[in-house]
Amino acid sequence: MMEELKKAILEFAEGSKKTKFYFKDMEKAVSEKVPGAKMREVKKAASELVMEGVLIYFSTGSSTMYGLKGRGMTEDPTEGSE
Amino acid sequence: MAFEPKRPVNKISYQESRIYSDAELKNYTEEELKNFKIKHEIPMLEELEKGPWPSFVADAKRNALRRKKLADDKMLIDREGSEDLLGVLEQSFVEGETHWKHGGIVGVMGYGGGVIGRYSDLAEKYPSVAHFHTMRVNQPASKFYDTDFLRTICDLWEYRGSGLMNLHGSTGDLVLLGTTTEQLEPIFFDLTHVMDTDIGGSGSNLRTPSCCIGKARCEFACIDTQELSYELTNYYQDELHRPAFPYKFKFKFDGCPNGCVASIARSDLSFIGTWRDDIRIDQEAVKGYIAGDIKPNAGAHGGKDWGKFDIQKEVIGLCPSNCMAMVDGKLTINNAECVRCMHCINTMPRALKPGTDTGVSLLCGAKAPILDGAQMATLLVPFMKAEAPYDNIKGVIEKIWEYWMDEGKNRERVGEMIQRIGLPKFIEVLELPPAPQMVKAPRSNPYIFWKEEDVAGGWKRDINDYRTRHKR
Ligand code: HEM
Ligand code: HEM
Ligand code: SF4
Ligand code: SF4
Repeated sequence: MMEELKKAILEFAEGSKKTKFYFKDMEKAVSEKVPGAKMREVKKAASELVMEGVLIYFSTGSSTMYGLKGRGMTEDPTEGSE
Repeated sequence: MAFEPKRPVNKISYQESRIYSDAELKNYTEEELKNFKIKHEIPMLEELEKGPWPSFVADAKRNALRRKKLADDKMLIDREGSEDLLGVLEQSFVEGETHWKHGGIVGVMGYGGGVIGRYSDLAEKYPSVAHFHTMRVNQPASKFYDTDFLRTICDLWEYRGSGLMNLHGSTGDLVLLGTTTEQLEPIFFDLTHVMDTDIGGSGSNLRTPSCCIGKARCEFACIDTQELSYELTNYYQDELHRPAFPYKFKFKFDGCPNGCVASIARSDLSFIGTWRDDIRIDQEAVKGYIAGDIKPNAGAHGGKDWGKFDIQKEVIGLCPSNCMAMVDGKLTINNAECVRCMHCINTMPRALKPGTDTGVSLLCGAKAPILDGAQMATLLVPFMKAEAPYDNIKGVIEKIWEYWMDEGKNRERVGEMIQRIGLPKFIEVLELPPAPQMVKAPRSNPYIFWKEEDVAGGWKRDINDYRTRHKR
């Protein structure tokens, strides 16, 4: 299950036109691919991908988005592609 | 009951952890400070130093002077952070525009909050604040520290950060202002492994919970705010550190309706201690107040002569629900009408005390004015017991989160969602019964609408049947 969720997250992240996305949009896409996926499990899978260094968090301080490491964002926002 | 930590906690010794000697901490004279000028002209900011009150500009100058005089190996980030910070702020005052860029992907491993990336878009002019990230540190419940802790964290931040901090931010955390990306992990290590604390929440997380001083010091406390705050902070670690909410979410805990942490205005879920039995009255003490033997308000506001205490004018006449009276020399309260405003209790604390059947009121949805103006929280649960392990409270919290995570839009606070879908719908999904306490003027506000399935016969009627009883 966990592996399937991670795969679905990656497919969404790689296929997304945007380089940063909200948890909710990711969760929606994943639950379309993996019917019955629970919000908590999607979150767990996303957290694991962060720990593995595949996904990264992007935070403005007030809200947080996810992104794929090495795509679109670098640590300094001036160097990013958007 | 004495406090029991959930696991053994490191004892911090400043003498062991200190980085600076006393001489280094006091390395300039007041005379030097007077003659000290930072490297930028800041006439507008210097206006803020005038007057009798403390000023962050004066504090930042002290910090700049100390760092100027510290040896190179006594700090790991640029020494001129305070000077450049003041410089860029002055420029923003002049131009009416900020020069801070929003956000970034800085953070510590595995955490999705607690570090807020800040970069200046004037990096050439103000190089020391080109990268100037904020770290939030989870404050202990009610902000009880010992000096070993405070001095250790001050040294750590002088060494690995700018030395500037803000105690405390509106959410409650200690706010450490200004460091570089390379310093984040070492600081995080020291905070967690040496100081045995944790960083706080930011972004779309549960934010660091915060509470009033509660039972530690305050006789009005109807609930143990510290224990509740500590319990929920530990229980919801995942929500605090791994963002998956539509937006921020704050808990605050007030021990009584006096609201010393203003939870009703400052948190998405506000806990306010209250009671459901009667206000306790000591009639002898009431007489003492009337006779002038006991000072009203426990002597507060005593600097001025207010004249003889007048219970009719100062207490009974000010009760918002008009539910107090003197009957045959005795103070009486119609407790069914009392709205727990605390006024009478605050005025005559020796004579009046909250009841003994205590618990919390839960209110939901306060927020600051980014969209549609500021909003106070709306009552959800008039009364609920608040006893460890607080399963009843956790049940309500989790239902709110579950629905908001599903139904809330990206960047929509729970209070905005309630406005959008309506309170009747919200309490229905939470499976909470409508209560008159949810409505300001229940007689005139018809917000609880009947639904067809609640009405015998539904909306349809047989007009012929009706006409048998009602002539045209
Ligand atoms: C002994 C006779 C009556 C007494 C003591 C009485 C008393 C009251 C009271 C105390 C109220 C509430 C006022 C408030 O909300 O502050 C009220 C409202 C009202 N009464 Fe009466 N009433 C009487 C007879 C009647 C009759 C005969 C009618 C009509 C045929 C009537 C029509 C109304 C209406 C329409 C309202 C307003 C309801 C509302 O605000 O929702 N009343 N009355
Ligand atoms: C074509 C006929 C009528 C029209 C268009 C009409 C319209 C209205 C309107 C617009 C309101 C205000 C509702 C509100 O503020 O929410 C109202 C209230 C009221 N009407 Fe009428 N009405 C009519 C006939 C009547 C009749 C025949 C009676 C009594 C026999 C009546 C008794 C009342 C009462 C008591 C209220 C106050 C209700 C309250 O405040 O709760 N109305 N009406
Ligand atoms: S909110 Fe009430 S219980 Fe808490 S410190 Fe203030 S007066 Fe005391
Ligand atoms: S607490 Fe407020 S509403 Fe209740 S009796 Fe005292 S003054 Fe009246």
